[in-house]
Amino acid sequence: MKQDRSRGFWYGVYALVLVGLVAGIWGMSVRVHYDWNWRDVPQYLVSTSGQELLAPFDAYVTITPDGKTLSLTEYGGERSASYTDFEQAYAESGDLVFRDDLLAYQAGLRPGILLIGLWMTLKLSAVSLVFALLFGLVAGLGRVADNPAARQLSSNYVELIRGTPLLVQIFIVYFFIGTVLQLSAFTAGVVALAVFTGAYIAEIIRSGIESVPRGQMEASRSLGMSYAQAMRYVVLPQALKKTLPSLAGQFINLIKDSSLVSVMALTDLTKAGREIISSNFRPFEVWFTVALMYLALTGTLSYLVRRLEKRLAHE
Amino acid sequence: MNDKALIRATAVTKCYPNGTQALKGVDLQVSRGEVVCIIGPSGSGKSTLLRTLNAMESITSGEVMVDGVSVHARSTDLNRLRTQVGMVFQQFNLFPHMTALENVMLAPMRVSKRPLDEARSRAEKLLQKVGLADKAHVHPGQLSGGQQQRVAIARALAMQPTIMLFDEPTSALDPEMVGEVLEVMKDLAREGMTMCVVTHEMGFARAVAHRVIFMDGGQIQHEAPPQPFFDAPSHDRLRAFLGQVLK
Ligand SMILES: Nc1ncnc2c1ncn2[C@@H]1O[C@H](COP(=O)(O)OP(=O)(O)OP(=O)(O)O)[C@@H](O)[C@H]1O
Ligand SMILES: [Mg+2]
Repeated sequence: MKQDRSRGFWYGVYALVLVGLVAGIWGMSVRVHYDWNWRDVPQYLVSTSGQELLAPFDAYVTITPDGKTLSLTEYGGERSASYTDFEQAYAESGDLVFRDDLLAYQAGLRPGILLIGLWMTLKLSAVSLVFALLFGLVAGLGRVADNPAARQLSSNYVELIRGTPLLVQIFIVYFFIGTVLQLSAFTAGVVALAVFTGAYIAEIIRSGIESVPRGQMEASRSLGMSYAQAMRYVVLPQALKKTLPSLAGQFINLIKDSSLVSVMALTDLTKAGREIISSNFRPFEVWFTVALMYLALTGTLSYLVRRLEKRLAHE
Repeated sequence: MNDKALIRATAVTKCYPNGTQALKGVDLQVSRGEVVCIIGPSGSGKSTLLRTLNAMESITSGEVMVDGVSVHARSTDLNRLRTQVGMVFQQFNLFPHMTALENVMLAPMRVSKRPLDEARSRAEKLLQKVGLADKAHVHPGQLSGGQQQRVAIARALAMQPTIMLFDEPTSALDPEMVGEVLEVMKDLAREGMTMCVVTHEMGFARAVAHRVIFMDGGQIQHEAPPQPFFDAPSHDRLRAFLGQVLK
């Protein structure tokens, strides 16, 4: 009973601290005379102006009097086209439009730049994860291998990557390797993130393998299995199961680290935020929104990881 | 020299990388169908000797021949050799992520590439043989130590070895479970399996072994059939050792 009351008290303290923090932020913004405007933000998430309708060729425009049909007749050619599913025309009857000119906006909702950025962040992280797992597995196996070349190379890889900042690695991949090999920004981003995360995954996998008792490898070998077979059927399944939570945690780190690739010509969530701010000068609202979106992503993932951990603990 | 010798170790020495001289010139011959028990104080090199027989441990000098194959020759296919030499460990070393049945089936399927049905029916027979037919689908974590060790024996037998090596198979067991494991081993001996058993179970050695070997300081100090070995130990250090363990 008494304990209940003191718990309630501390929850009250907790709420007060939170309120205080929010008030503090608000107070700071007042001091710099920041005028908040959250109404602009939703359009960056979901844009109500639909898809752009662009002219497929140079043409004259005809719009029916009811404004519902827009037709094109090719300038100096035979082709024609007509559209009905648009909302507001930007061209008028009799106009001569050129290829890729904006004719109208089509009806409907469209993901805003922030959602597009979020999707890019997810895609980038997921693709990078696949390669990071591959690099990590190879390097992790190399770390515990008998072969000196494999051991030395993997250990150099891990030390090199863990000893230098990710941002510097991204610059090297993007401006040096990317230029030499003509990589797209996305590929360069994936390479940088996968190589970086792979080094950490290698260490996770190494420690996982080392946590499997030596007797497992010995028993497998005594049955006539090769080293590779023993790894594949006996040691790795146990090692990976033990490290699954850490591997999942690494995926969450990867999502956060991916914000650094926004220095490249790649519109991920962070870059989307920067682009919006450069046009509307609303850094507070936009950065808070971006942070919340990252938080939603990582929060969902860590919730899933916790559930996975519980499930594995039960087995 | 015995022509029937299935195992023949000659002047084997083993020096570990840290400088420990674990074997100092060991000669050992084991005939087909023979059961040899190895006893001796801790650190005397019993495990090391056993593990050189299937090349789980390399040797520094000497030679080990198993069924006419030089075990430590560079050209020897170790994986193939090991299918002929089953090994049972003190700590069982069962694969915890597999059921008992899967433990027994793994090597026949992956190493000998036996089809699933064949591997399974043989594994089921072996589990039955060690008295664990009803535990086929249980994971090792839910088995008692004695049951785990019996599964481990079945797992080693699944490769149809001609030799079985046991390294203190009952030392990690609670006393009440020792008997069930020794029973399985006795059956094996009765069927004519060639066995090398490192053990502290003097009763088992006396009842089952054809020959008992006493090791000390990396050397075989004495060997004899069990009766003279135990009843009239002619070797001083052996007498001291027996006096200690039988007390
Ligand atoms: N991997 C190793 N590296 C270095 N020294 C070792 C290694 N394994 C064993 N030794 C040493 O070699 C000697 C013989 O060890 P071994 O394990 O063969 O003895 P054992 O007779 O089996 O003893 P126990 O009854 O305790 O099992 C011991 O001095 C031991 O410390
Ligand atoms: Mg030993």
